[in-house]
Amino acid sequence: MSRTASGGLLRGTVIRKGGASSSSSTRISTPQVQSTSTTIFGGGVKDPSGRTSEYFVSLIHAIHCMQIRPILESEVASLGKRMLPQDTFEDLGVEKEVAVRRRIAKEFNKRKEDFPDLRSYNDYLEEVEDITFNLINDIDIPETEARIAAYRRENAALIELNIQREEQYSRYLKEHEDAERQEREQRALELRRAEEEEREEREKERREIIDQLQTSDKDAVKLIAKSRAGALRRATARSSNGAQSSSKALRPRFAQSAVIPDEPHVPLQDDWYAYEDMFVLRDSYDDPASEAVRRDREGIMRAGGYRVEEAWERALRYAVAGLEIMPLQGFHLGANTSPHGSGESQAVSASTS
Amino acid sequence: MDAVEKANTERQRRWVKDQKIGEGMYAVVYRGREAATGRRVAIKKIKVGQFKDGLDMSAIREVKYLRELKHQNVIELLDVFSSKTNLNLVLEFLDTDLELVIRDRSLVFLPADIKSWMAMTFRGLEFCHRNFILHRDLKPNNLLIASDGQLKLADFGLARDFADPGYKMTCQVITRWYRPPELLFGCRYYSTAVDIWSVGCIFAELMLRTPYLPGESDMDQLKTTFRALGTPTEEDWPGHTKLPDYVPVGQFPRTPLRELFTAASPDCLNLLSKCLIYEPRRRISAREALNHQYFFASPKPSHPSKLPKPVMKASPTAPLEEMNGNVEMNGSGPGVKANPPNKLKRKLSSDDLGGRSIARKLDFSQHRQS
Repeated sequence: MSRTASGGLLRGTVIRKGGASSSSSTRISTPQVQSTSTTIFGGGVKDPSGRTSEYFVSLIHAIHCMQIRPILESEVASLGKRMLPQDTFEDLGVEKEVAVRRRIAKEFNKRKEDFPDLRSYNDYLEEVEDITFNLINDIDIPETEARIAAYRRENAALIELNIQREEQYSRYLKEHEDAERQEREQRALELRRAEEEEREEREKERREIIDQLQTSDKDAVKLIAKSRAGALRRATARSSNGAQSSSKALRPRFAQSAVIPDEPHVPLQDDWYAYEDMFVLRDSYDDPASEAVRRDREGIMRAGGYRVEEAWERALRYAVAGLEIMPLQGFHLGANTSPHGSGESQAVSASTS
Repeated sequence: MDAVEKANTERQRRWVKDQKIGEGMYAVVYRGREAATGRRVAIKKIKVGQFKDGLDMSAIREVKYLRELKHQNVIELLDVFSSKTNLNLVLEFLDTDLELVIRDRSLVFLPADIKSWMAMTFRGLEFCHRNFILHRDLKPNNLLIASDGQLKLADFGLARDFADPGYKMTCQVITRWYRPPELLFGCRYYSTAVDIWSVGCIFAELMLRTPYLPGESDMDQLKTTFRALGTPTEEDWPGHTKLPDYVPVGQFPRTPLRELFTAASPDCLNLLSKCLIYEPRRRISAREALNHQYFFASPKPSHPSKLPKPVMKASPTAPLEEMNGNVEMNGSGPGVKANPPNKLKRKLSSDDLGGRSIARKLDFSQHRQS
């Protein structure tokens, strides 16, 4: 792997196994590589979980780069030319990059499905890469942070949703696994029970035959044949019974739920707008039309649930809802006498008036 | 040909009637499709000519409100055109309805399924109420279900907009089993709360798999209601004894919902009880209901596509169809078979509306076209 622009991006995949100083390590304050002969296969920097984090992360890095490469080929090339100090991908650089990428991935979690087309998805990936690059290389930090904050503001709901989606998906995988495991256990149990039963039955048969041979004066061959036929009957009955496993009934629902996850409840799914920013409903109005209702001496309107406030709200909302509709233009009342006005367009405009 | 006629002819050409699937006194329903796209639709042909006073009221209401309402959980009226002396409504084609789902004993409902249906019902209703429209005939067989599992409010034949102050509304609305006590007491000034009561009854029915308050007459309906929920006191429901048709029907103690709905979660019963509060003003609104804890608690509502549905017969004949409104139950159209005779029919008794038939639905589940 050479140190050309795009090759350089992938340098993180090189794992430093032995402690030999052949690798170009210039790190001073980062965790020490455990580099004895016993760790020859477990080399690299270990994180608290014991995972070789450097390897792990470099791989992610590599995959990430490969994903973007097709669309970013020119970009990457130009980056390389612009400014890639050699030591960007030294260990310290990789560590920083890992931290930055981890942080970015947490919030920039949009999926391909969240975009109307491939083009906008690619644009988004490019932007993410741009931001990441800036952070890693300390370019325009305040401006980049502002971009991140803006993104976070605009996409708060979607970010949250995608986090939930991921959690949900892993939950469903787990549920599915659990269900399968349960079924396996159930099957094993049934099998064991069936074997046990069969064994007992054979034992019983054997005893019966011996009994009968002892007590009866019938032909021994006939007795044995009869008992064999009985055993065969029972065995076939058993196998056809066993075919209906109890867990079968709910199986399709389980399989489905792994494929289509249930979404969390969203109270209203349309764009609710009630012009509430355009009026304030008062407690009372000077409204002669509703005076009788409000007096309601008998209390029958209250008992029936009628609310005069609803009538007021409707009147106000209807009043403001039409405010932004432009008056019709070019519409003449005498249009049916116009020489070339097609009758149809008149009908249409009349119906919208 | 004048402009209106020309426009009408063009509209008419957009839709193709394929097969008659039901006939009643007021309307004939066809299965049809959009000529350009092949999209399936239901075409409801309303017979105009035979009425002395013009169009049947429920047809007017249906057109009036459906023309304006467009929402995921409300049936879509795609087009209206006239042919000869008839009015044709082109409606979205829907596979089945909630009543058939409830009645199909082979289906198992998970708590998440019920939650999903309730959320969709409340969403459709909230949209109507937001637009100042009362549905006034909510019941399981007016909640239709699309092939993707979305539930849609249908049959706006009894709908109306909120009354202006002091205007009376009729109390002879809503199918009896789903009718709130204020209407049974003859109240003429009411609100969105009447629909909420119906939704409460549907909610209970989804859990019980049988109608919750099946009264045999209007009087019996009050008794059935009070037997289940206790006779309201003046404190429970101030002023109800002054309602026009108030009659005392006896004192019944209130039994906790928990006794009947043994498997329901506390959140679930809390929402149900708020839908079935006697005093209409204190009854929960559709919007409040959608924000109720029940919907956010685990389990999440089932994805609509996973909801249980009756298995459709694989015959080429009509599956269950959007068939509400003023189609007569006992209409003897070819091959149409009505519900088996049953005293407790899920419809308004004929005396309810002075002999006028409304809001009925044909049952095609047993119908095989020859």
